[in-house]
This record gives sequence, structure tokens and C-alpha cells, in this order.
Amino acid sequence: MTTIEATASVDQATLDALREGVAGVLAEQSGSTAVHAFIDGKNTLDRELWSQAASLGWLGCGIPEQYGGLGLGCHGLAILHTELGRQAAPGPYIPTLSAAQVIAEHGAEAVRTAWLPRIASGEISAAVPTNPDAAALTRSGSGVSGTLRCLGAPDAAFVLAPAGDTWVIVELAGAEVNAVPMWDRTRQVIDIRMQNAKPAAFLENSETLIQAMALAVAADSCGAARSVTDRTIAYMKTREQFGQPIAGFQALKHRAADLATKLAVMDETLAHAVHRTATNEPDADIWASLAKAEVTEAFVFIATDCVQLHGGVGFTWDYDPQIFLKRARLNEVLVMPNPALRDRAAAGLAAATRAGHSALELGL
Amino acid sequence: MTILDAQNDLPAFRQAIRDWLAEVVPPDWKARMARADNDEFIAFQRWWMAERSKVGLAIPHWPVEYGGAGLTLRHLIVIADEMARADAPQARMFTISLIHLPGTLFPHGTEAQKRRYLAGVAKGDVWCQGFSEPNSGSDLASLRTRAVRDGDHYVINGQKIWSSYSMYADRCILLTRTDPDAQKHRGITYFIMDMRSPGVEVRPIRQANGRSEFGEMFLTNVRIPAEDMIGRENNGWRVAQATLASERGVIAFEGAERQRYEVETFYRKALESDAAWLHDDQLRREFMSFLAEMQAGRRLLRRVLAESETPEASASVLPSIVKLSATVLRQRICSFMTRIAGVEGQEFAMLAEEPFGSPMFDFLSAFSGTIAGGTNEIQRNIVAERGLGMPRI
Ligand SMILES: Cc1cc2nc3c(=O)[nH]c(=O)nc-3n(C[C@H](O)[C@H](O)[C@H](O)COP(=O)(O)OP(=O)(O)OC[C@H]3O[C@@H](n4cnc5c(N)ncnc54)[C@H](O)[C@@H]3O)c2cc1C
Repeated sequence: MTTIEATASVDQATLDALREGVAGVLAEQSGSTAVHAFIDGKNTLDRELWSQAASLGWLGCGIPEQYGGLGLGCHGLAILHTELGRQAAPGPYIPTLSAAQVIAEHGAEAVRTAWLPRIASGEISAAVPTNPDAAALTRSGSGVSGTLRCLGAPDAAFVLAPAGDTWVIVELAGAEVNAVPMWDRTRQVIDIRMQNAKPAAFLENSETLIQAMALAVAADSCGAARSVTDRTIAYMKTREQFGQPIAGFQALKHRAADLATKLAVMDETLAHAVHRTATNEPDADIWASLAKAEVTEAFVFIATDCVQLHGGVGFTWDYDPQIFLKRARLNEVLVMPNPALRDRAAAGLAAATRAGHSALELGL
Repeated sequence: MTILDAQNDLPAFRQAIRDWLAEVVPPDWKARMARADNDEFIAFQRWWMAERSKVGLAIPHWPVEYGGAGLTLRHLIVIADEMARADAPQARMFTISLIHLPGTLFPHGTEAQKRRYLAGVAKGDVWCQGFSEPNSGSDLASLRTRAVRDGDHYVINGQKIWSSYSMYADRCILLTRTDPDAQKHRGITYFIMDMRSPGVEVRPIRQANGRSEFGEMFLTNVRIPAEDMIGRENNGWRVAQATLASERGVIAFEGAERQRYEVETFYRKALESDAAWLHDDQLRREFMSFLAEMQAGRRLLRRVLAESETPEASASVLPSIVKLSATVLRQRICSFMTRIAGVEGQEFAMLAEEPFGSPMFDFLSAFSGTIAGGTNEIQRNIVAERGLGMPRI
């Protein structure tokens, strides 16, 4: 199902090809068995996927072509994150690609050439605060200090974070980095502590980090929620009780239909936010904030229901629903708390309305 | 230049509609209709249809050969958007005439039926739908109104119910049973019934929202000429599927576009008056949450409309998904409006002027969305069985 439509900057065929390519590779390599083995420490799926992603160009999907990327902007990113979510794929995609987005939009030319080609080629990954608005490094003189809880791999090359009234890129080679064990083992979270570290670069405006992360997390949630629903409905068709497949019980059918309805709304909520962002509308941040809040909560609802619809096996480590439920719960609290995102959107709506603009155009 | 002359230039087309609406829509129409009795309501609906007809917008989406303007979906979206923006009256009394009748006759009617009956719609013929019966609602195929052949006529006996605007209707699309012994879907025949025929008696039914828009129909030895049968005898169920599918989101689409402006106006006024709910974290966030769903719903409806012109449409459950989301969202919005209106909102008032000026009326009216045209439970059955492939047991 494609609901992310092309805009002037990107054509539909390119987006469809990207989706098909990513979906195909991930279905083959990041299936249920591989992901289960990964969370049990029995393979290095994250690394294998990362090098695949690099060689297939996925990591540069949002990066402009002159910096080694594919130049597919937030459309391409939404598609990539959706497909990664669908297979609960492990790897630091959200922090790295969101940081790249910010650098591409707000970095000085030297900063772009320093980092973007290395991200696009898969040479390095990045870390960003799990909640950028609540985290900040302190600046004294030319150095920055503090502790940050970040989304990112322990071997991330740099962190992009707020420091006082500016944003900084700090290389992590010498910093103290500790991996945090998470319930969601498909994601990596690290604590970074730095003392008077010298930033490699300063960025003026990085509010876009919140917007980029919001879109990424929302996209991941859309793909993941659809996937856990598909898996659950497939299970319901094979599991028999009272001499019939449980998928025949109307109480469960109606729940499944409600999940399908929620999924359709989630996809459009994301697509609207992506569309407004891609066309640079002033209301883009409103819709990205709301998309993250709405879609991640819906994902939690869906993943919860899918555990229940599986019965006993849903409560086991060995079945898939728990993987998605944990991913859903992490997604829900990333970026900013959802109530705060709704408030952020409300402030944006009030400002637009006071200025006499409608924030409700679809632009379709 | 008329509106239709501008059809090849979408912005000019939009502007022409906007200018026409500014000229023709009486600013006080809502207040007038809030107090109107049945005769005034009918007169107003007929006047509105006549105005639309004058500028070629009565049936803009029909093929030219049947009196339409043959406009595209893009045009229809523009028309709906401008009507919503101007808060223009809806042609509610003509819903069956404008949507269900052509949706049935285009695929299943004879050429003579199309020429005869479609032409009347632009002239203001009101049609109603005689499907539901007291004992056949969701299980429509169990209907029992009998039709018995008598020479070149059929004789009808039975009772229909919930038929919207049947009190004002000129004609009715009617489902009857011709073969009581056949399996229930196989013994149904579809007719066009003249509502002025002897033996047709209609009584209005009062709704929970105080209005009487639907009625029950008692049919006693009503004679219908055989040429007014749509499709073949005992093949009515198939024809009825076209009627039921004809809506394909159109009504919901117009409703959603109107709701967008209602909500937007409501919000702007709240901001201007610094309404208390804006400072209530929970209420403000709830509002933002349904705003997001409203946008998603408007996009979904555009997809349904686009899909309706493709061959995949007949197998798609997207219209059911959209019905589920749009009607429940409407209830959520009206419920929100009712809560923030406090005790004042419980004062008896029918349709009032402001957007959500009578939230209880709107809240109660919202049930028509979740019940009419196949209840939401039936939509869930459709989504689960046809969309998700869950077994029917
Ligand atoms: C405003 C309005 C306008 C209408 N206009 C028209 C009209 O113009 N012409 C016309 O013919 N009809 C019209 N209807 C009738 C409408 O189509 C029926 O009301 C509807 O199909 C439900 O039938 P019912 O009222 O008999 O309810 P029932 O079928 O008795 O349903 C009662 C409850 O049982 C549930 N239920 C029934 N069967 C199932 C099932 N298999 N699985 C799960 N749940 C089930 C229903 O969802 C509902 O909650 C209108 C109704 C309304 C409210």
C-alpha cells in the first residue's frame, strides 16, 4: 500500500522502486527467525543489514546527491523507516538518518561535506538524544560537558545535541559511552558522558531534529503496526479452538476490522505530515508532531491487542508480538512525550490561525 | 462566463463557483431552516436544487447524454470544497436522486429507464429508498414485501421503514420478494415505484434529534408496471449491490469537507474568545488528536473517490474502512463539543447557526452515520471477511 505520494521533487516510480527494493531485501534478511536470533545475541543482523543498506544506497536516501545520497528527501526516509519497522529491523537508522537530515538542512557547506558522504556510505553512524528537547550539554568556553541519553550504537561516530542556545556535533572517539540494556532489543540506547569536549561543528537551528525524528518514529510505527497486525491475523486463521479457526469468531473479527481501520488512519496521518514537510509548508511541524503522537499511540494499542489476540503464545519470548510491543513502547516515548507534542502542535496551530492562515489545507 | 465554461481551468472554475455561491447562498439560511416546518424545508430544498440546476451544478458528475456536465473527480472535489467553505445548503432531500438512482441505473437500467428517470433529477424529482423493513435491517436479504405478477403489472404488498424523505418523494427504488421459496438472495426483485400510486401510504417517524426525516411506508395492492423493473425478475439482489455501493464515500466526503470548515471556524472563534477549554490540557490535546484524524480522514476519502473510478473498486473494502473511521470520528468530535458546551449545551435546540451551535443536536444526529447505509458492525464484518479474509462461520 503506497500512501506516500510524490511531490514535485521526487517522482512516484522512484519511490515505488525504493519501497519494493527495501521491502524485498528486509523480508529476506530480517524475517522473524533472524530477528529472534538477533535479540538473543546469536547473530549480527544489525551489522549485516547496515552494510547491505550502505551498499544499496538506503543510508543516503534523504541525503542530497552532491553529498553522495539519493536525494529522496523525507519521502524516501518515510518509506525506508516504514519498511524497517515492518521487519522490526535492528540498527541505528533513526538517529543516523535524522542527524543527516539536520546536517543537510542546517549545516555549513564544510560540515555537510565532512559528514554526509561518510553517512551515505555507511562508514559511520550517529547518535541523537532520545528526547532532544529535554537534553542539553553545557558550554563553557570552547568546550561542552554533560551526560546525554541517546539513541545510537555504542560505536557511533558523533552525537548531534543541543548545547546552550546552539547545537553541536561532537565526535565520540574519546567520550565515555555506555550501552543501556533496553526492553526493545532491536534498538540501541547509549549514555554518553563528556567533559569539556571540543565540538567538531556548531549548527544554528536544529529544531528540525525533532521534526525529522518525529517523522522517522511515526514511519517506523506505521510499518511495524501493520506488520504485527498481518502476522496476528495470519495466526488467527490457523489457530483452532472450539473446532474452528479463531479468526471466525465475530468478536475477534470486529477487533481485527478496527485494527485495519486504525492502520489506514495511521498511514494517512503519516502521509499528510510527510507531504507537508516535503512541500515545505509552514504547518509541517504541526503535522509531524501530531503524526508522531497519534501514530505511536495507535501502535501501542495495536501491538497490545495483537499480544492478546495470540493468547498464551503472545505472552512468550519466542513469538513475534512481544518484539513489536516493546518497539511500540519505546517509539511512544521517543522524541518528546506525546502530550508535549500535541501542545507543540497546538501552539503552532494557534500561531498560524492568529496570523490568518489555515493549517488545514491538504495540498492535494 | 458560466461556471461550466471555466471547467478547463481549475482555478477559474473554483473562482466562478465561489462567486456564484457568494451571490446565491442566503446568509441566514441555517437560522431559517432551524425554525422551518416541513413545507418550508421542501420549498427550500427545491429552490436550492433549481439554483444549482441553473448553473449546471445539479448533476455535474453525470455523463452529458443524461443531462450531466461530465465533470471529473477533480472538479467534484473543488465543488464540494467550495460548497463547504461557503457553508452552502446541502441537497439532502436529493441524496437518493443524485447518488443511488444513477448508481443503480447506469449499470442495470434499460436505456428507456435512464432517459426517462435520470432526466427528471435535474428538474427536481425527489427519490427515496425502500429497502429496509421492520424485520429486515442488517439482514436486508430477508425482506418480505411481496410483489406478484399480474399481467403487465406487479402488485405490491408490505411495509418499508426508515425511508429518508419518503414523505416528499416522487419515486422510490424498491426491493421486493417475488419468489418466497427461493434461497433468500435469489427471490428479490428491484422496482421503481411511483409514490403517487394508489395504495402507498407514508407516515413520518420522529427521530431522537427531534426531526422527522425518515418515514415508514405501507404498501397495499400497489400496482407497478413491469417496465419499471430494474434488472430481471429475482435478480434484484445483484442490482441492489450497485445501489449500496454507489455511495462510495461521496456523502462522507462532502461531510468531511464541511466538518473541516466547521471545526476550523469553531477553533478560530475559540481562539478569539480565549475559550476556557484551550487552557485545559486534556481538552486541548483531545482536540489536536481529532484534528489529526480529521486530516487523515479527508485524505482517505480522496483515495476512496479516486479508487471509485478504477476496476479495483468493486473488491475494495476501503469504503467500509472509511465509513468506520469517519462516522466514529464524527461522534468523537460531537461528543467533545457537547462536553465543552456544559449545561448550556443541553438546552433544547435543533440545528443552530454557529458551527456546533447545537452540539447535542449534532451529537444525536451523528448516529445516522453509524447506523444508516449498513451499520458499523456490518462494515466490520465486511472489512474482516472481504478485506482481511477472515472466515465466515
Ligand atoms: C438516519 C437513517 C436513515 C435511513 N435511511 C434509509 C432509507 O432511506 N432507506 C432504507 O431502506 N433504509 C434506511 N435506513 C435504515 C438502515 O439501513 C437500517 O437502520 C440499518 O441497515 C440497520 O438495520 P436495523 O435498523 O434493522 O438494525 P438491526 O439490523 O436490527 O441491528 C441492531 C443491532 O444489531 C447489530 N447487528 C445486526 N446484524 C448483525 C451482524 N450480523 N453482526 C453484528 N452485528 C449485527 C447492528 O449493527 C445493530 O447494532 C436508515 C437508517 C437511519 C438511521
